[in-house]
Amino acid sequence: MKQRATREEILKAIQNVPLLSPSASQLLQVTAREDHDIQDVIDIVKCDSALTARVLKIVNSVAYGLAYQVSTIDRAISYLGDRTIAGIALGDSASALFHKELAGYEGPKSELWNHDLRTAIAAREIARYATQPLNADVAFTAGILHAVGKAVLSDFLSNSANDVLIGIDSHEVGDYLAGERELVGIDHTEAGFELAKNWDLPESLQMAIRYHHNPADAPQEHQLLVYAVHLACIIAMMCGSQASDSLQYHLDKNYTDFFDLTSEQIALVMLEVNESFDTLNNAMTDTKETQI
Amino acid sequence: MSNLILGVGEFGASKSSADIVKTFALGSCIAVILMCPKTRTVGMVHVALPESKINPEKVKTRPGYFADTGIPALLQQMAGMGCDPRGRGFIVKLAGGAKIMDPNNTFNIGKRNALAVKKTLWKYALGPVAEDLGATYSRTVSVSLATGEVTISSPGRGDWKL
Repeated sequence: MKQRATREEILKAIQNVPLLSPSASQLLQVTAREDHDIQDVIDIVKCDSALTARVLKIVNSVAYGLAYQVSTIDRAISYLGDRTIAGIALGDSASALFHKELAGYEGPKSELWNHDLRTAIAAREIARYATQPLNADVAFTAGILHAVGKAVLSDFLSNSANDVLIGIDSHEVGDYLAGERELVGIDHTEAGFELAKNWDLPESLQMAIRYHHNPADAPQEHQLLVYAVHLACIIAMMCGSQASDSLQYHLDKNYTDFFDLTSEQIALVMLEVNESFDTLNNAMTDTKETQI
Repeated sequence: MSNLILGVGEFGASKSSADIVKTFALGSCIAVILMCPKTRTVGMVHVALPESKINPEKVKTRPGYFADTGIPALLQQMAGMGCDPRGRGFIVKLAGGAKIMDPNNTFNIGKRNALAVKKTLWKYALGPVAEDLGATYSRTVSVSLATGEVTISSPGRGDWKL
């Protein structure tokens, strides 16, 4: 495979990615603390009128199927879960990144967001089957963020998809990550990790981004979350993806150390992903014009 | 020309020669394509899971979601368009059912989907004349009513006829 860019060029491109909005950044930091107060979240959201409007729109959307109208931000946050609010703020703040055409992976506009939202829903559902306590809202946010590195690499990978797939099919490279490393000297998990550090994301989210395809390599204290995102990413790909890297990764069979999942339960998670995706996606994107 | 686009768990049929019947990005899901040469009708169902017993409620709103209820629902719709209700004389093609590289096979919903689809077809004495099932890539499937050609495409792999 012919090298398309150097690792240094990618790292430089990461430096040029815009920072998150102050409210998204603060929300991610605050909600990452186990002992945080919901009032801190409410105070941050109240200072951002666009985010307030968005959160109210989402909680009142058909996705949540409430029988009554929620009109105060305090109740909306209580209902949605404060960490889900962080995910919503993140989706808004980095909208251009999530919704750009994923040309390097032959994916259409919004493909990254679609995969990330499916992963987030799957991670939230998988949390139910964890053998140790796992916060479903953190899993959701990690799902939203996990593949953000692809948005950076995509610009450098034009017309490379066929080469990578031939490499995988012929066992020249082990998976799509190895193909990315051959082409640009860095894979999307590491590129995403570098971006996450730039954004000063909480460590748990950085680890989910860095190790979601190699969860066994994650520090032990983060492995539960990382395995959740690992499985969720795979389930999201099984539900359908229009990118060239879809299904081109290995499942780590040691997920059974953290999750008690039968084939039937996986099917139930897939059902929920498909069920929730359209309504949640509409709710999270229809109040804002996508900026590309 | 118009496109009849089918999402996950949706089914539909057309007999307009200008139409394309299409479904996007099948992962472990399967597109079951039923073609009635006599009436020149093409139907498709985007099956997501093998058996409806996992969620009987869902069957009421989206029978196409499951192999065991989606195929009968499509046959019923096509019968309403003048086709044989049990699919006699139909041409059947299948695509999808991809898998992840999974040593435990727990995640192989694609294979279970394929088996359930074939089991349901057998109840009507139907079987595929062509299939592109399994492997580790996603598929977008379209059927041209004008030519009857089934085209599969996958990002990075181009497109091919089934």
